[in-house]
Amino acid sequence: MSVETYRFIKLTVGVLATLGLYSALYRENKFYRFFEHVFLGLAVGYAVVALWTETLYDLWWTKMMGSTAAVGQVATPGYWGWIVLLPIGLLGYFVFSSKNNWVSRIPIGIILGLWSGQQLQVWFTRYGPQMVKQMVPLLPTTSELFHPVTTGMTPAQVATVDSTVYVSQAITNIIVTVTFISVLSYFLFSFDLKNRFLKNATTLGRWLLMIGFGAIFGSTVMMRFTLLIDRMYFVWIEWLMKAILHK
Amino acid sequence: MATPDSSIGAKLQSLPRTLLYLILLLATSLPLIYGELAGGVSVPNQPLGAAVDFYAALMKIPPGKTVLLETDWTNSTRGENGGEFDAILRILMARGIKFAVFSTADPQAPQVAMDDIATINALRVQKGQKAYVRWTDWVNLGYFPNSEGTLNALAGNLATAFNGKKDVKPGGGLVDVFESPVLKGYTKLTDIPAVILVTASATSTVMIERLSGKVPLDFMVTGVMGPETQVYYSSKQLEGLVIGLKGVYDLETLMKQGLNGQGPDAVPSQKYAGLDVPPVNDNLGTGKGSAYYPTLHFALALLILAVIVGNVGMLLTRKRTAQ
Repeated sequence: MSVETYRFIKLTVGVLATLGLYSALYRENKFYRFFEHVFLGLAVGYAVVALWTETLYDLWWTKMMGSTAAVGQVATPGYWGWIVLLPIGLLGYFVFSSKNNWVSRIPIGIILGLWSGQQLQVWFTRYGPQMVKQMVPLLPTTSELFHPVTTGMTPAQVATVDSTVYVSQAITNIIVTVTFISVLSYFLFSFDLKNRFLKNATTLGRWLLMIGFGAIFGSTVMMRFTLLIDRMYFVWIEWLMKAILHK
Repeated sequence: MATPDSSIGAKLQSLPRTLLYLILLLATSLPLIYGELAGGVSVPNQPLGAAVDFYAALMKIPPGKTVLLETDWTNSTRGENGGEFDAILRILMARGIKFAVFSTADPQAPQVAMDDIATINALRVQKGQKAYVRWTDWVNLGYFPNSEGTLNALAGNLATAFNGKKDVKPGGGLVDVFESPVLKGYTKLTDIPAVILVTASATSTVMIERLSGKVPLDFMVTGVMGPETQVYYSSKQLEGLVIGLKGVYDLETLMKQGLNGQGPDAVPSQKYAGLDVPPVNDNLGTGKGSAYYPTLHFALALLILAVIVGNVGMLLTRKRTAQ
């Protein structure tokens, strides 16, 4: 079979699978079910093979067994300590034993311990810079409205301009700070409030959250459209125009 | 028995689902076909600051250096991640930057990446350019099952994290990746000029947690992940960020125009004034961003129209009920 023929068959199967999966939009049918099961079977089959070839063999077996010298390659020693991981990992399968399923908690406990130990550093690495960037000046240091164009300025002049808080920047910073405080108050004061200021702050926080969720939803809709456009490109351009009509 | 409401308002609110799908199919197909036949349709574009920073960061990496390219996407998000991956490959290949591909999210991801590399390579050869050779110019490190553990190891020691990984050496079988020209001499994470992540999953957060502040990070994410990832760019934890289809189109615009160039389509950037951020003239034609972005406008116009029709229908029904 030539490469071109193989490529054409591959594309045609892809088009059939695409049509099969989209046929669910009309109604539940066997065509859709077939391709759904093919998709799941392929994904699981691929994952099982990859589990050995990409993970266990490379990251565990070869390290444990080492390798003998071959042309262009030096021998590497095996470290038998890696074998300890096998019984620990196999303990996880005790989850299927109704009598001894507590044993499966041992490997889970080890993983949780390793994970928990990292969390303090991980938390600060993730949120620390954001907290620092949250501390922004609210008052302008000049009456000028906008950051000027720095083209043609000397580095010293650019540095001066960059360290100046212009009115537009101050307004942006105020919006950021008000959003931060009101959203935080929404989550902190989730009980019935008597204080009018706090009540308004939490309401504002809820509204701002809704705006944020709206932005996320808008992005989600755009992404779903893009995925559909990509499928249409695959069917009309890659398969029909390029593979069949050779345009 | 109540008779069905046959007013215009009710009809506008209950358009047949099949009809809407058909219109959507046409709205997403006809512009694509027209664009392909017309040789591309351009939409006026002003690249976002995050994409400009991403492009500028890539353009300052010296040719011959190696970047780590984590690819955590498969064909399910090809519409966005595929265009992103194509764009990054084209930039890296045009600039002669070596790369090591790996994934910590999906076992299928490295294969999808290799298929994409083969496609871009075929295009390069077709245009008379040098093919990017596996082992010499890029290596596949494969899939790593645990993102947290892998990236934690990477933060500690590059050589240890990828220890034992082998790739295909032309005529030499599987050989340790650190023997390849791509990773030879690289031992620490700080030796790497940038780690680039193309993702459709939460590995972006894991990478921020494990590698932020240790090496320059550049992310390419899906549109859904955009708002949550934007905060990392705003707090300077990311050097640059490309979000969804708009990001791909931004990148392709920059590849075509560079920064602060000449002409009506030039992309001005005050931040990079005086710095040389040229276009990438790889002559490989339009990318997925340029092919899809005009069509997205038709789909969004249809969505807005559907919202208007639904609301007009609702208002008419309310008015009729009040009467």
